[in-house]
Amino acid sequence: MQSFSLSSLVPLLTFLVSFVVASAAPAADYHEQLNLKPLPQNSLLASFNFRSNTSLPEFEAHNFRFFPRSLGQILQHAGTRELHLRFSLGRWDAETWGARPWDGTKEGGTGVELWAWLEAESDDEVDHKWLTLTNALSGLFCASLNFIDSTRTTRPVMSFRPEGDHPNTTMANMHLLHGVLPREVVCTENLTPFLKLLPCKGKAGISSLLDGHKLFDASWQSMAIDVKPVCPAGEECVLQIEQTIDMVLDIERSKRPRDNPIPRPPPSHELKCNTTKPYHADDTCFPTDSLNAQEWNLNQIFGKPMLGNCPLTNPKTPPVCIQAPHTRDVFTSMGVEELTEPGNENQRCYLLPSNDEEFHLSLPFMPRDGDRPKTDADEFVQPATPLLYAERSLTGHGQEHGGVQAILTNPSPDAEVEFVYMESLPWFMRIYLHTLKARISHRTGSDAGQTLRDDDDVIKEIYYRPFLDRQRGTQLEIRMKIPPGSTVFMAYDFEKTILRYTEYPPDANRGFDVAAAVITILPSNSTTTTTARRTSNLRTTSMLLNLPTPDFSMPYNVIIFTSTCIALAFGGLYNILVRRFVGRDEGPEVSLVKLRRRLQEAVQKVKARAMERLGAAGKEAKKVEGKSD
Amino acid sequence: MSADIKNDGDSKPASADATVSLPATGIATVERKEPPPEKEADTRRRTWIVISFWLIAVFIGLPIWWNTTTIYRANLPLTQMTDWADGKACEPVFPLRIALDVGSLPEQEAQNLLRLTQHALDDLNDFSGHHLRLQLAQAPAETITPVRDDSNVALTIRLAPGDAAHTASSSLHPHLPILDVQYPPNSLPTANSPSSGLATYIATQLESTFAEEQNIISYLLETSSITPEHKPKGISQEVVDTVSKRMTRSLKYSQTYHLTFSLFTNGPVPSSWDIEAAIDEYLKPVLDMLKPIHDFTIDTQVQLYAAPGVQSQVLGKEDLSSFINAAEWPLSPSIGGAPTVNFIVYIGNQTIGVPSETSPGETSQSWMIPQWGSVYLLAPPAEATHVSSETLKQPILTFTSHLLTLLGTPQSGSLPMRLSTLARIRSADLLLRAASSLGSLARLTLALPSISIPSNVADGVVKTIHHLEFACASLGGAQSLEHARIAEAEAERAFFEKSMVGQLYFPDEHKVAVYLPLLGPIGVPLVMGLLNEIKAWKNRRSQKLKAA
Repeated sequence: MQSFSLSSLVPLLTFLVSFVVASAAPAADYHEQLNLKPLPQNSLLASFNFRSNTSLPEFEAHNFRFFPRSLGQILQHAGTRELHLRFSLGRWDAETWGARPWDGTKEGGTGVELWAWLEAESDDEVDHKWLTLTNALSGLFCASLNFIDSTRTTRPVMSFRPEGDHPNTTMANMHLLHGVLPREVVCTENLTPFLKLLPCKGKAGISSLLDGHKLFDASWQSMAIDVKPVCPAGEECVLQIEQTIDMVLDIERSKRPRDNPIPRPPPSHELKCNTTKPYHADDTCFPTDSLNAQEWNLNQIFGKPMLGNCPLTNPKTPPVCIQAPHTRDVFTSMGVEELTEPGNENQRCYLLPSNDEEFHLSLPFMPRDGDRPKTDADEFVQPATPLLYAERSLTGHGQEHGGVQAILTNPSPDAEVEFVYMESLPWFMRIYLHTLKARISHRTGSDAGQTLRDDDDVIKEIYYRPFLDRQRGTQLEIRMKIPPGSTVFMAYDFEKTILRYTEYPPDANRGFDVAAAVITILPSNSTTTTTARRTSNLRTTSMLLNLPTPDFSMPYNVIIFTSTCIALAFGGLYNILVRRFVGRDEGPEVSLVKLRRRLQEAVQKVKARAMERLGAAGKEAKKVEGKSD
Repeated sequence: MSADIKNDGDSKPASADATVSLPATGIATVERKEPPPEKEADTRRRTWIVISFWLIAVFIGLPIWWNTTTIYRANLPLTQMTDWADGKACEPVFPLRIALDVGSLPEQEAQNLLRLTQHALDDLNDFSGHHLRLQLAQAPAETITPVRDDSNVALTIRLAPGDAAHTASSSLHPHLPILDVQYPPNSLPTANSPSSGLATYIATQLESTFAEEQNIISYLLETSSITPEHKPKGISQEVVDTVSKRMTRSLKYSQTYHLTFSLFTNGPVPSSWDIEAAIDEYLKPVLDMLKPIHDFTIDTQVQLYAAPGVQSQVLGKEDLSSFINAAEWPLSPSIGGAPTVNFIVYIGNQTIGVPSETSPGETSQSWMIPQWGSVYLLAPPAEATHVSSETLKQPILTFTSHLLTLLGTPQSGSLPMRLSTLARIRSADLLLRAASSLGSLARLTLALPSISIPSNVADGVVKTIHHLEFACASLGGAQSLEHARIAEAEAERAFFEKSMVGQLYFPDEHKVAVYLPLLGPIGVPLVMGLLNEIKAWKNRRSQKLKAA
């Protein structure tokens, strides 16, 4: 706000220009867009999308222009046909924020998630290539991806489908592998290589807004890389890399200045108090519910200004869009062209002039009182209801057994939802499949509000690949169908394994992370619109499983304890076998007794001598006495 | 059976009894009695018990302990390995064959000239490792294919009669391994003459042609691990310095190299270049010639918004090493084992302030980074967004010469000759490397007795030695490079065996802490029992002797 003059603040609300998004893409092109979407409770969803293409012949010839060479080389070396890599942090609050961005297809479970289609003739070759791929990516993205070993790798059957257009000949030899590292902490060192892959590298365009401090401070964030071949109808096939960063910023939190990030209580005159309370006074304050008149600008919340356009993009494509009600005031810097689509009046896009000037965007404070009071409906578009709510938690107690319960709710009043629920569990969680039960509760209909009842009709299909100790984890895929307005409680039990001493990670008492369950919502057959026919995803949070943890100084204790036992047993046995028992007065004198006796004898001797001496001295004294007399 | 014997055997339980009951008995000395004589069978039984305990401990306990705690060490042919490392197993000798194409000279005279030249050569050459062998050419020189012919001819001398007025002159063919010698017709030696000016002249020419190769090979032997008596003598410090400077620049040998051509620019333009056409035109011919020695993969990339590590307008000598912005430029190390050679075209207005002294012909726009690649500073092209193939001509040609230097190619002679020399140098280098790796492995094995040696290390060593023998036998030939390469790879793999790297280390304190609680309480009764038994047995014997 401060950095550009007030005179240049022209409300561009009336400036409506229709535009058409360039649909046909040339063979090697680059596209980037930032979507801002204010959310309830002072949050802001920022979705960065970067997409570049390279033609397949160019890719085969190792000529890289916008497609990153470092990644391309890895893909070629590991025979990867399609790659999806996710780095995620935090939890998407579906109750407040509604449906996920990109239908959840561009997010992963907490930590790092990787799945790829590899082309190989045999299973051994697949494993080898997968190892190459994970190791190479681990180096490229500074993540512990090389820890995705056979115990963390699954081969999903129902959950994932290739997104790219693959020729049928390669499809036959393509293998899907999926690996998760729920424990990995995503941080700045993963963002830097991510930005390096972009043609404009964070020096220009929307990527210049990305900063590790703000990104990893977000309430929820997900970085995604998708590489897939795309064959537009009637055109040459291209290999497309799409990089996405989604984050939900807490506006108040990200507005904190960088040099003074410690939150401090606001001075008393700035507190927003609920004055209707009877006890409201100068020294008492009950905070108001809604303090959410959003007020922010790009500079503030990202900590950096946006440095113009990335010149490689199509100048007709607007780089920044905001999804807010049309009644929301938005100010931008001079020379910026505002575009709106006729059908979608909640979206405004901004076309930047081609010079390198900084782009500013600011959403001013809108007073809730006065002449034309504004409401929440003017602040943000009401988020769409997601197709499904899912949460998962651990149940049970003790160190030996436990259970998992997933609560899946279909909020829709009329449409049923069909999905595949996939769990990949570590091998030390031995699940009992026979305990898998789904109970249902209806919110509407004749039995609304009734207690839960078992329902075998919910689960349509189960794919189960049991664990093998230390070799592979459990893979469980369940296809389910939930009727409208119902909640399904799915639960199963498991047993905890006691690990070997060396298998515990450092800080074993923290617990073991269990990867998020992946839910793939299948396109419903009833709706025929193209948007609804695409699959969408969501993921539960990851769980923290407590295993019985030993005392790690144990080995020495065990050694000493068992040694003592053996020594006791052996000593007793051996002595009984080889010793001869005789009467006490028949045996030889033992050294200790002998010593004691000798000591006593010596003492007696000394005593006797002393007595003698004393006696002699007495006599002498008497003699002397006699003489003197 | 005397009282003495019993006393000895029974000392301990009696002591226990006595200690317990002593306080009650007080000071008064107990009347000592002799225990009843022990039965013969009891004594014998006790002896058997002690013996059987010891037998179990020695024949069952010890082997189990040994088997469960011992470290597997495969047998390595240690003497053979050190022999190779010391240069005793193989005398690196390069028999170079040189064909003498005498043209129209009669057979007799040709043989005579050949004999005399060979004499002169042998007189000149004091380094036994590098033999030049003359032979008469079978076919006209034009048909000889340049490099890596089976006939193994390193160079052909083409004699042609020239002007009688001039002295002999020679010139190297620019594209073929041919030395053209023009001689005055009257300088041909007569049948019986002991020496000839022409022969000496040819010998000197040959000597100077192969001087560089000889120097490099002497240098390799000099710096290798072989013992001094196997090293060549008389290599001057000056030669060592120049050769070592060149050798340290070159990359480690590999079968395959990745060549990465990158266009870096500080701003958004230019974002495309005609690199493919430029490479096809200017670089491919050289790569094709190098094919028998190396394979190459080529990839290219364009990187925009890449700020160099040094921002100053004129780059000083110290700036050149920090120009590459390793933190930000995506020049990631290569994948799959083969090293990457980076060639960077940087579009910018920066210039180099240092006049290049080593090779004056080189433009002052580029510099080579040893064992890594090369950088070329290119002024922004007229057509701002695109770099044309013609603009790239000079950079690519510079890169080509840098590539040859990075590969360790010698600098003198025609390209085919340089390449055949390169093959020989590389095989010598690999051979020595593999041998010294073997030596290191042997030393390591001896130095660390607690390191485990898996059987595949032994396999690798055997394979290495096998291939080294082949390579040594065919040195200078076509097969030797291949064998030396396999030997080197196997030796490296054996040396860097993963399971050997993670060596288990148990300090002695650790062992004491683990063994003492068990061995103390068990070992003491066992040993004491045995000692008592031996004492008793000795007593018995002396009693018997006395009785007898």
